[in-house]
Amino acid sequence: MLQTTTKLILCAAFILSGALSLETFAQTNAQQGMKQTEDFRKQAPPPLAARPLNIPKPYETTLPNGLQVVIVEDLRLPLVSYRLALRAGDVNDPADTPGLMDMVTSLLNEGTARRSSKQIADEVARLGATLTAGANADYSTVAASALSMYGNEVLDLLADVVLNPTFPEDEVKLAQQNALQGLKQQRSQPAFLASERMAQVLFGQHPYSVVSATPESIGAMSHERLLAFHRSMFVPNNAVLIVVGDVRRDEVLRRVNDLFGKWQKGQTNARQFPAPPARTERALYIVDRPGSAQSNIVIANPAINRTSSDYFPMLVMNVVLGANASSRLFMNLREQKGYTYGAYSELDARGLAGSFRETAEVRTPVTGPSLKEFFYELGRLRDEVVSDKEMRDAKSFLTGVFPLQIETQEGLINRLVQIKMYNLPADYLQTYRDRINAITAADVQRVARQYVQPDKAAIVIVGDAAAIMEQVKPYAQTIEVYDISGKRKETPTATAMVTTGTATTATGAAATNLVGTWAIEISGPGGQSMPATLTINQENGKLTGKVSGQFGEANLSNVNVNGNSFDSVLTLNISGQTVNGRVAGSLASDKLEGTINIDIPNVAPLPFKGSRSK
Amino acid sequence: MKRLLHQATAALLALSSASFALAQTGGVGRTSTGNNNQSRSNVSNQFRLPPTAIEQFTLKNGLRVVFNRDNSIPVVSVAVYYNTGSRNEKQGRTGFAHLFEHMMFQGSENVPKAGHFQYISNAGGDMNGNTTTERTAYFETMPANQLPLALWLESDRMRSLAVTKDNLDNQRKAVQEEKRMRYDNQPYINGLLRINEMIFKNFANAHSTIGSMEDLDAASVQDVQEFFRIYYAPNNAVLVLSGDFEPKEARALVSKYFETIPRQPDPPAPDVAEPADVATKQDTYNDRFAQLPAFILGWKIPPRRTPDFYALSLAGDLLFEGESSRLYQKMVKGDESVVAIQGFFGERRGPSSMYIFALPKPGKDPAQVRQTVLNEIKRLATEGPTVEEMEKLRNNLINDAVRGRQSSLFRAQQIAEFALYDGDPNLFNTELDRYLAVTAEQIKQAAKRFLDTDNYATLNIVPAGAGGRASGPQSTQQPQPGAPPPTVPDKTKPAEPTKPATPVQPAQPTGQPQQPTDTPKPQQSGTSRP
Repeated sequence: MLQTTTKLILCAAFILSGALSLETFAQTNAQQGMKQTEDFRKQAPPPLAARPLNIPKPYETTLPNGLQVVIVEDLRLPLVSYRLALRAGDVNDPADTPGLMDMVTSLLNEGTARRSSKQIADEVARLGATLTAGANADYSTVAASALSMYGNEVLDLLADVVLNPTFPEDEVKLAQQNALQGLKQQRSQPAFLASERMAQVLFGQHPYSVVSATPESIGAMSHERLLAFHRSMFVPNNAVLIVVGDVRRDEVLRRVNDLFGKWQKGQTNARQFPAPPARTERALYIVDRPGSAQSNIVIANPAINRTSSDYFPMLVMNVVLGANASSRLFMNLREQKGYTYGAYSELDARGLAGSFRETAEVRTPVTGPSLKEFFYELGRLRDEVVSDKEMRDAKSFLTGVFPLQIETQEGLINRLVQIKMYNLPADYLQTYRDRINAITAADVQRVARQYVQPDKAAIVIVGDAAAIMEQVKPYAQTIEVYDISGKRKETPTATAMVTTGTATTATGAAATNLVGTWAIEISGPGGQSMPATLTINQENGKLTGKVSGQFGEANLSNVNVNGNSFDSVLTLNISGQTVNGRVAGSLASDKLEGTINIDIPNVAPLPFKGSRSK
Repeated sequence: MKRLLHQATAALLALSSASFALAQTGGVGRTSTGNNNQSRSNVSNQFRLPPTAIEQFTLKNGLRVVFNRDNSIPVVSVAVYYNTGSRNEKQGRTGFAHLFEHMMFQGSENVPKAGHFQYISNAGGDMNGNTTTERTAYFETMPANQLPLALWLESDRMRSLAVTKDNLDNQRKAVQEEKRMRYDNQPYINGLLRINEMIFKNFANAHSTIGSMEDLDAASVQDVQEFFRIYYAPNNAVLVLSGDFEPKEARALVSKYFETIPRQPDPPAPDVAEPADVATKQDTYNDRFAQLPAFILGWKIPPRRTPDFYALSLAGDLLFEGESSRLYQKMVKGDESVVAIQGFFGERRGPSSMYIFALPKPGKDPAQVRQTVLNEIKRLATEGPTVEEMEKLRNNLINDAVRGRQSSLFRAQQIAEFALYDGDPNLFNTELDRYLAVTAEQIKQAAKRFLDTDNYATLNIVPAGAGGRASGPQSTQQPQPGAPPPTVPDKTKPAEPTKPATPVQPAQPTGQPQQPTDTPKPQQSGTSRP
């Protein structure tokens, strides 16, 4: 994780991208007074006649042991791609061992009866091939690809890691250490915290409620456990092998028979899971992350599974509402209001259940106003018929992006995997665009009224609970607060803090202790020390304050005191412009320590220390 | 560029799959016999890359156009590459090329702000732009029948970009936000800007593409209009169409949209000449976001498409490309001395660079880790690559070239660079042979002459949190204590997302199953999705 991130950012340092800057669309328009323009430039040109999309019809067969084989002869380039897909995913993890399927798949290429981890890595590298494996909630895949001249060698490697993994003790141990490290790291990521809380809220006792392993489950993933779980899950009558590329069907089939023919059939008993709970009210779940500059908002309702007949109208609805950067949510929350970089909706339709959700990361002070806009858009989606233009744009987006997604062998295989794993119709790809085009505005409104239920929505916000509580209260019937470890907390209203307008009343000794004048030293961005004065006043039960120094004077408002810690909003006036920031700190044996955050580019958090002025 | 992208992609894949210490001892594990290896080599020795159709012509106004037709899927990619990058910037005018890339999405005579990506998104297309030292690139991938839309959009901004005070001010802020999010707020990144200043002596090469915020603030609308007139002229650009189109129809469309855009005087050629020695050998950077000390080594190497560059590029592959690379095996797996070790190239038309970045594990001495890296370089320069490594290089070169060709956007981007830099788009078909022709001896000699020397730069990155003083890259003005920076952020708009620019990469297979829905992801890459 760390390595991947670092690599990305290192490359990014040299290749700058600016399409990203959508800062200022909504303001002025293009210049006037250009020279004479040809008429054809004044309007966007209509598309040319549609060009044929020839989706190859796959050849399909089933081996005696139940393994389905799908072959697409694609002779464009001397390449071949294989994907073994298994109808078993995280949902099949034993209830007491979440993450087991992930661990099994991630260790497949770390040693087999015939090859060590290093031998596998070396052989893959020497062939210029790829070999990877992974699992999602519903299914698992092992992917391999190579130049077609090495097609046999890489298929042999794929068969070996699928059929004969040994889960060597030392590799298991390393993977466990790594996974434990990963558990810690993911708790620092708001997106993970939001998905974890929302999964629990939406799915209750259903296994979709679990999104991660635990330290205990990782500890329980022994060599024996992994071996046994692999043996029970990896059975041919639950698997599909898809081959796309420069291959001859007969040759590939012969080879597949040689490698997979002796794979022993097994049990594929479908497990019964408790249904996700029915929702009865709009509830808010806050994951408290003190100091967050942003609130990570997710709003969701239970929706459809992947095979629902409402899938296509839901796809179109999703584009109208929020699938892309010209959808309603983006246009409202980003373009008009400027609350966020992006606001989206997402249809998460899985094999057994699903949800429809709306998401944005917004600046903390506009958390409440963002909820207002989200619910406005959800209501509008139910109450109004979608306009012709929006319907046209949404369908043109979905049908247009479709060929782009199957340009490569991997893109086509991804589609074929979904068809097989969710038992979609054999002509799914061929009819996809027609089915999109057949959806009407009335269809969209019907599914909106059925599945978009603002009154029963679950809202998860990962953010600074104290800073957002007052803003978000009007938007939910009930509020629960959790800490980042996932434990339920008491709501902050129960602590010694009552908000009144722009300032906060603090009771008790802590607040009184903070009141007064403090001589502080601020460490500047270059490490220099800047003397300043921090003052906190209490008047009629309200706390206010200011910081003054060479830079001038900044006012403190929204002063919150919690125990010996305080937190406040800083407002600084620089040549007529207002700059905001935060000042937070804590008091210990009459020494004050904290940080000043100023919302100005290039300014890192400024630490300060000080003691009471004599 | 090609090598950089391949390396980045392959490394990402390699790094994301969990694979650790040796399961068994014993040198290079082989399951096949020597004879098999022999026959494999023969197979790859006989490999011929299937050529892709390339046709080039030039419009009356000097715009070079390349058609690469492949009608297997009804998709077309359009790339417009302007021959301007940070290498063209003078002292006091840094960051212009990149600022301009932002300006190009701010609307033109007939396309409103936000119009560019909304038109493309509603058509189901994908688009982006990026800036390097060498050029500024814009590209989109569209359903094939939307080719006129892409040409309309690209031609309108080439001929009538809205260079207004409002747009300029807004985009200055946007760039400053971008710098804050992507550089100043991230560990190790500003260090990378510093290493270029240590490698290169010529200002044209040494300064960063993001540039100086002070220079951007000093730019007037007239400066920017003049920059646009000269550098964004049709005679300073190439246009590439790759994918499914009818050549006749496409030619008529290209003429219609582009031919009336007036030619301008040719821009002055930049001087990128460099002495052989690096500018500074040793420096320390105090990084306030770094948790662990790290270091970057930087070498000055010959320009792209020279025999030495080909050889060094392959030497780099052997040292740091993927999990089977020498440094990964030695340091991530072997002595477990680093959290991460990565290398990459700055591929330029002038003097270029190679970098190795290492993040030692807590408790490991960075000086010793650095010595291990240098020892491995010396070993390569002394013993040269093994027969197995040469086979691996060969197969990976071929695989990368073939796999990338599946994507119309990959083809368009690569062809655009060859057309722009070399005037020969057909290098896309032949360049692989240059790499395949490199011998083990040439790799060894190149490593000896350029890498295993004292002529390299070392930048030690030290966490500033541990009592150290924070420092910034020298080219960037730091806010002075007590004097707030001269610019004030626009509070009504959010900052830019931190998602790094990822130029198109050849599609790579993955074992991670896709999302269980086929809802397309947002096509606009400046947006982040939880």
